[in-house]
Formats: sequence, C-alpha cells, structure tokens
Amino acid sequence: MSAATSGANGAVAETAVGGRLLPKLADPAAPLLVVENLKTYFSLDGATVHAVDGVSFRLERGEALGIAGESGCGKTTTALSLIRLLPPNAKIEEGSIKLYGIDLVGKSDNALRRYRWREVSIVFQGAMNALNPVHRLSDQIVEPLTQRLGLSEKAARRRAGELLELVGIPKRRGGAYPHELSGGMRQRAMIAMALACDPAIVIGDEPTTALDVMVQAQILALLEDLRHKLGLSLILITHDLSVIAETCDRVLVMYAGRVAEEGSVDEVFRRPRHPYTQKLLAAFPNIRADRRTLDVIPGSPPDLRHPPPGCRFAPRCPFAMPVCTEVVPPEVTFGQVRVACHLYPPGSDGTQVTTAPPNAIGATVPLVEPPPAEPPLEIARG
Amino acid sequence: MTTPLAAAESLAAGRGRTRFASSSDLLRRLVRRPDGLIGFVVLIVFAVLAIIPDLIVGPLQTAITAEGPRLGAPSAANLLGTDELGRDIVNLTVHATRISMVIGLLATIITVFIGAFLGIVSGYVGGRLDAALMRIADFFLVIPTFVLAIILTSIIRDLAGSGAREVFGIRFGLIAIVFVIGITSWSSTARIIRSQTLSLRERAFVDRARVIGAGGGHIMRRHILPNVINLIVANAVLVFAGAVLTETTLSFVGLGDPFQPSWGQLLDAAREVGAPSLGAWWYFAPPGLCIILVVFAFTLVGSALDDLLNPKRSARR
Amino acid sequence: MDEHVSSNPTPSTDPGPAADEILRLEGLEVHFPVRGGLIDSLLRRPRGVVRAVDGIDLTLRRGEVVGLVGESGSGKTTTGRVVVKLTRQTAGRVSLDGQDVSTLWGTRALRDYRRRVQLIFQDPYETLNPKHTIREFVMEPLVVNGIGTPAERESRVTDALEAAGLRPARDFAARYPHEQSGGQRQRVVIAGALVMDPQVIVADEPVSLLDVSIRTELLRLMLDLRAERGLTYLFITHDLSLAWVIADRIAVMYLGKIMEIGPAEQVIRSPHNPYTQALVSVSPTPEPRTAGERAKRTILVGETPDAANVPTGCRFNPRCPYVFDRCRVEEPPLFDVGGGQSAACWLAEGGRSLPVLPARPDPIPDPMPA
Repeated sequence: MSAATSGANGAVAETAVGGRLLPKLADPAAPLLVVENLKTYFSLDGATVHAVDGVSFRLERGEALGIAGESGCGKTTTALSLIRLLPPNAKIEEGSIKLYGIDLVGKSDNALRRYRWREVSIVFQGAMNALNPVHRLSDQIVEPLTQRLGLSEKAARRRAGELLELVGIPKRRGGAYPHELSGGMRQRAMIAMALACDPAIVIGDEPTTALDVMVQAQILALLEDLRHKLGLSLILITHDLSVIAETCDRVLVMYAGRVAEEGSVDEVFRRPRHPYTQKLLAAFPNIRADRRTLDVIPGSPPDLRHPPPGCRFAPRCPFAMPVCTEVVPPEVTFGQVRVACHLYPPGSDGTQVTTAPPNAIGATVPLVEPPPAEPPLEIARG
Repeated sequence: MTTPLAAAESLAAGRGRTRFASSSDLLRRLVRRPDGLIGFVVLIVFAVLAIIPDLIVGPLQTAITAEGPRLGAPSAANLLGTDELGRDIVNLTVHATRISMVIGLLATIITVFIGAFLGIVSGYVGGRLDAALMRIADFFLVIPTFVLAIILTSIIRDLAGSGAREVFGIRFGLIAIVFVIGITSWSSTARIIRSQTLSLRERAFVDRARVIGAGGGHIMRRHILPNVINLIVANAVLVFAGAVLTETTLSFVGLGDPFQPSWGQLLDAAREVGAPSLGAWWYFAPPGLCIILVVFAFTLVGSALDDLLNPKRSARR
Repeated sequence: MDEHVSSNPTPSTDPGPAADEILRLEGLEVHFPVRGGLIDSLLRRPRGVVRAVDGIDLTLRRGEVVGLVGESGSGKTTTGRVVVKLTRQTAGRVSLDGQDVSTLWGTRALRDYRRRVQLIFQDPYETLNPKHTIREFVMEPLVVNGIGTPAERESRVTDALEAAGLRPARDFAARYPHEQSGGQRQRVVIAGALVMDPQVIVADEPVSLLDVSIRTELLRLMLDLRAERGLTYLFITHDLSLAWVIADRIAVMYLGKIMEIGPAEQVIRSPHNPYTQALVSVSPTPEPRTAGERAKRTILVGETPDAANVPTGCRFNPRCPYVFDRCRVEEPPLFDVGGGQSAACWLAEGGRSLPVLPARPDPIPDPMPA
C-alpha cells in the first residue's frame, strides 16, 4: 500500500516498520498499544458515572483481543476511548493510551484525528446505520480514500475494488446501495471501509451481534483471515463469549468498569479464576455441554454513579469475604493471566478456586428443580 | 433490582398521580426551558385576563355606559385612551381577551377532537376507510382555508341569521366562527395523528393486545390514544394559535359579532373609524400587540413541547 | 390449574393424533403477495409471492417445549404469529385439543382460543405499553374478556405476578415499565400471559435481548411454570444452543419448511439434515477450539435466499455440501430416521445417516453464488 501524503496536521513524516509506515514520533520498539489506568467518566444529570475506572491492557501486533462483559460494563466505552469517539458528556479523566509509544490522551482533538481510521478504525454493530443509504457502496469506500489519504479518484476507485474483493464482495456489487445488500454483505462492506486506510488496529464493536449464526460464522472467518493476511490487530468487543472463544488470542473480562480477569483465551476459558468469569461462562448456553445446567448470577450490576467500595462484584459473588466489600482487589498476574480478586492475593500460587462441584458448567444448578412428583423430563445428567 | 435512577423516576411519577406518568414531569421540564417558561407565563397572564376581566377592569363598557371622550388620547383616566364611542381601550382589550380566547379554545377542542378521532381510526383501521378519510383530509389541506372560512361563515350566518341567539353565553355568530375554524383545520391534526398511529399499530404492545382478545375500540382507546396524547397536546397548542389568528382575521373582514368584542373586532372597528390615519395608535396597538403576544407565546410553548416530546429524545431504553 | 403435567415425552414414532397432543399444525402455509409498482397494484396483479411459511406440520404434546429454530427469513416467527392468530394462514389447519380453529377470526369467535394460547414477545421494552402500570398490563386480559369480579381480578393479578417471580406482587403492581430492569419486564410480560391461565405459550425469542446472566433465571422460570401448570411452549429462537438448553424437541426451519425435527438430544448430537448439521457445527460455544476442531465446521456458502425465490427441488440444495441431482428437481419429504426424529433430506431416506465430510481449512466463502 502506498504511503499516505501528509494530512493537514502534518506530523506524519513516517517511519516504516514491517511494511507499515508509522507516525513520525513512533517508537518502533514500543508495543503496539498500551493502555494504562484508563478512567473515562460520564456526567449524567449532575452525577458522575464511573463507566471505565482504571483499565489497563496491551495489544501486540497481529494479536486479537476480546473485551467481554455484559451491558453497561464499560467495554464499548473502553474501546471508544482509544480514539476518543465518545459522546460529549464523557471525558477521559486519567490514564494513558500509548500507540507506538505515543500518548494519545494528551493530544488535541485535531491532532488525534490523524490516528482515527488511519491507525485505529472501527466496525460498528448496526451496519445499516453506519452506511449512508443514499450513496453507492463503492462511493462510500472511495470517500475516506480521497479525503484522508489524498488518493486520486482513479486510484481510490481501484483500491475500493480491491477492498471489496478482499472482504468477499464481488467488485460489480460496488454499485449497489446499502438497502440492496443483505445484513452480512453490509457488515462486509463496513469491514472494507474500516480497512480502507490500512489501519494497524481494527476495533469490532459487536460486529456480528445482529447477524444470523451462519453469517456470523462467515464474518468471523473473514476477520480471522484478514488478520493473518494483513497482519492486523483486532479488538473485539462483545457480550458473546463464544465469539471471543472463536476468534481471539486473549480475552479481557470487564465487570462494572474494571478488569476482572485478563489472559489467553485458552487459559481464561478453560480455567476461569475470577468468580465472575466462572459465573459468566457457566451461564452461557453451550451446545457441546450437557443440557439444562445453566448457572444463574443473582442480583444485578452496581449503579456506576455510586459503585460499591472494594470489589464491585462482591455483592453478587458466592465467595465474597469481608475484605471484598472494603478493599479493591489488586490485579495480580499468574503466568498468562491477570486477575483482580481477593481469592488470588499477591504471592499466592493462583490455583483456581471454584464452587463445590468441580465443573461449573456441569452440575451446579440444574435449570429445573425436580418437581416433587414424577419429573416430567430428564433433568441435568451427571 | 430497581436501580436508584429508576426509583427516583418512580417517586416523581407517583407524586403526579396523573393518568399519564409524565404530564406533571412534562410541565416541569417545559418551564425549565427559557422559551417554554416565557410562553407559559404569557399564556397564564392572558388566561387570568380572560377568566376575570370584570375584577381587573370592571364590567364591559358599551355605547351607553361609556364615559370617556371620543377617540381620546391616553390619559390618567383612560390609560390607553378611548374609542370612537368613548369606551376605555384597556377595558375593551381585556374583555376582548375572553372572547378571543374562548373562541380559540372551542375551535381547538373541535379541531383536535375531530382530527385525533379521525386520525386514530384512519390509521388503525386502515384499508378503504383510511383511503377515503385521507382523501377528505387532503381536500381540506389543499384548499385555501381562509377563503373557505369566509365563504362558510357568511353562508352559516345567512342560514342561521346573525340574531341574538346565544349558545353557552356566546352569540351565535361567534359559534359559527368556531365551527368554521374547527372544520377547516382538523385535517393536518388528523394527518399527524394518523402517521403516528400507523407506526404504533406495528408495535408489539398492540399485537399483544390483539393476542389477549382485545377489539379495535379497546386497542385504540387504551393503547393508541395514550401514546398520541402528547402529540395531540403539542398540536393543540399550535392549533390554538392558528384559531386565534383566524378568528381575528374573520372579525377584521367584518364577519365577527360587533356586540361581543374580540381583538379582531377591535382592529376592525379601529380601521373603520380610520384610527391609523388619525394617528390614534392607542386604538389598534393594544389588541394588535395582544394577538402578537398570544400567538407568539403559543408558538413558543408548542415548539418547546414538540421538542420535549420528540420520540427520539424521550425514548427510554 | 391443569393437571396435565407432562408425561415423559418419550418420542413416539406414531405420527397420528396422540391422546396427549394439544396443538397441531397441518400443511400450514403463509404466502404474502408481492405487489409491484402502481400499474400492478391498480390491476391488483401480484408480482410474485413470498412463501414465508410453505407447508409445515407440527404437533405439540401437552407439557412439552418445542424449540422452533431458524435463521431470519426461515418463517419461524410467522409460524408463531399464525398460532396466536395474529397472521392469517393462506392454507392449512391449526387445531387446539382436536378442535379446528383455522377459520375462527374476529374478536368474539377467538375469545376462548385466546385464553388458552398466549404469546410472549421478544422485546419486553416494546410489549409493555409505557403508559400503563404493571397492574394494568397484567389485568388487561381479564378486563378485555370480562373475566371475574374486580376482587377476583386483583387476586389473579397478584397470583400471576408472584408466579412470574415478582414478589411481593404489590410492590410491583403500581409501577411503570420504565422503572424495571429488562429481566423484570420480561417477567411482567410472562405474568401478563399467565393471568389467563393458558395451556400453550408461544415464546418468540423471549430472552434474546437479555444479558446472559439474566437469561438463565427466565428460562428456569419458564420451565418451573411448565412443571407447576403443565404449560406447553413453542419456543421460537434463532439460537440453536438456547433451544438445546430448554427444548424437549427441536424443529429446524429453513425458508418456510421444517428441515428436521426430533428430540433435542438427537437433533443436536446426530443431525440427519445437512442444514442442521451445518448449524450445529457453527453454533458458537464459549469453549476455545483447536484448529482441527475449527476445520470441521461447515460454514455454508452464501445466505438464505429470498422467500420470494424459493429454489426448486430441495430448497436447501444451492448451499448444500452434499447436493446431488435428485435434490435439484425433487423436494424431499420428512423421512423418519428413528427415535421420533425426521429429516427432510434425500440422504435420510430409509433412516440413513449423513456421510462424513472431509475436513477442510476455513474457507472464505464466496457470499455471492452466481
């Protein structure tokens, strides 16, 4: 891909690393993305909502990181904070976001624009809303190419065609309007647009949530393929743990604005340490596990205007100890995994602590309590 | 599991004790905006004038009871001067408020009632009824309302005579005006309500009502109407402003009732005696200003309401 | 209350009307005309027809949960709407307890049927009228149908709310929907169905919009109610793993037809229709899979065709990895493959199993079949 001519804000005499051109100030030796102690708060009716409250993580080149959590846990806010695509009542209060060692938090909005889309782009959930219904598909892909990269109309057209082919849309379909395309096609188009400026990081915000299973599988396979072909780094935000299990190398489980657990997908999904991760996994229907043994997480997430002191999961946690309601658990790293839970204090060996029956998905709580009389159905086996 | 936010909302809703949880809340939000507050205060002032004119300026002066000089300039006795019969302009204007406001109110009620009823029925029932009703609505939308109003008013007055018969303490000539305003302006209300009904009809709660066995009447009354009531209120406010203007205009062209002064009537009288060319500004300025103020206030409140009730903003998720 | 707590739904191979059958759909069809432009509509000439539901047979036994699974455009929701009489079928029969209700329309004629068959919608935010209190919502069916005295109504509302897990009921009754969390709203919706003391509940994606941690409680509630009241559910969902968790039998729909039906365990563990097999293989699970496991997935090419252009022969043939000549010309009926399971596939004729497909690397499927 050709080097971009420098934009209006100029700071882009670029260094090349691994075939990619980096911004001038980039430190080629620095990790791709390091987020430290990020705090993004919303002001809502005079109160402060601690939506993201001290989140740290890193993303290496070519890596796929999944950010998981339920609605309102701050996963989307975390990702949107990276390139400050936040609503006007949100503000990054603290922390640093270092892309190639360049801190983005201190940058002015204008300076930051250089990084949006060209370094970090986003695929949104509702492709229909993100695409302009009155413009042809190829025109919408050409626009950022001519506007942001300053390509000529002809070069941009050629590139748009390549991008469409890349995401599995035949070039001739470029003339279509968004409503003429199926949901899966529109999502592919969104991906093509996200790739237009050859970004280092693509953020997928629930990229497959509204899609059918088969189309979801197609899109996830496409993302994976693109990641390998283009050396992309992915951040996948989703409530759907299975999507992360399928696509990501590492997972960051968030609860109420904080990191509960982070680590390699294999380790976190096979040996979840944090009670919330355990519960969340056990509550997820699994077609390859036994039937009718879904777990329940009692209660509901805390009000983030007045988060509880100590561990935010404590009120719903089966393991809660007195210390949990008083002291914020530190994040402790055990090999591949980082956990914030008092069950795993610094200096401990990090052995997994689970509820009485060893397999949470297995036999903890059958979905149906057996009725007193003859049970109408086979209840959980095992 | 209720969040504190939700709990606070429920408290607020409970205090209002209204059928529609949000109407007291709505008023509060309305007066918190500058445009809403100004409009609201102006309307309250005019409402008071309309309700108790006698307490403020004494009984309505007539040609017999008038005491001032003819077409006298403002003085200590007559703050805004007098008309050609020696009646006090302040007295006349304040009493005219009542007539103008009552006509506006009645016309609005008729307009909104017809418009909302036909809009809901047309939107919910659909099919041929909808097509027929909307063609009629289009007819009223397309023809120049004012011309129709002039024609209808004169016809009705000819048929019924402009005699001294009174309905609700208002002379028949004015009732005719009310009626004419009502039937010429319902169509836009009906259109608005219908389009809202069309989208409500597809909502899950309407499906649910059908599943539990509810008939069309029940669904329209219990499910559609409460959800368009805000729209009706916002629309009514704008209709009111229009009605006051129409009444004024009809009176101004001489189709009013000289025995019950409205603002339009006063302007007409002022024009007739040539007040503008005589420099008797005190004759036409007060009613003129009142009209401008009321219409302006209604428009402020109406657009503020419209803004507050905009479904995109009020959608709670 | 109904005493018909379900007998163990041992799948019977007998397709005839069984004593424990409660709801039966026979040859159900819903075809919508597609009108073209002005000229077409003036001439009342339909341009084509959308075959949303294209001839399905389905029987629900008392106390059973049947999962109706399909992707968008499969006709699963339309089927549910026909069952609750929100949409008219263009052909076929619906019968409840052996009584044909296909031709009943209008408010009065359906009164009794509506008491017995209720619907739970997908979106609890949408189903609840924001202007009504929870009490008003739950009581509405009683008022509409003139059931009970005011005092009886109150007590039935209280019972229904408590049965739906909203205890104590009086704490909830006076509230408005917007004060409730998503899970609570869906409980209110369930209470609003329970108050009629129905026998059959059609649940259209009842938990799809809820967070994972809340889903389980609602699924459990639904199953508890089944055990207590002998309810029968038609559970409509796009999510095979949800059906797997809650349903006794699963019916898989594709383009308006049932492709496979049978006990959940069998349909998931040994699918006999290639479409079901593909769905199972791509059904997401929260378990990291090895590359080898991933290669075994069958990611179908393309997307479900438009229901206005149903392919000839087997409607799945353009996307089927096993397709052969017969599939392109002749539509397979549902073949019994044993154990109460049937599959609409020529390969299942005579109860045969599907051959094993060779594993292949993740393809980038060409989404646009020519």
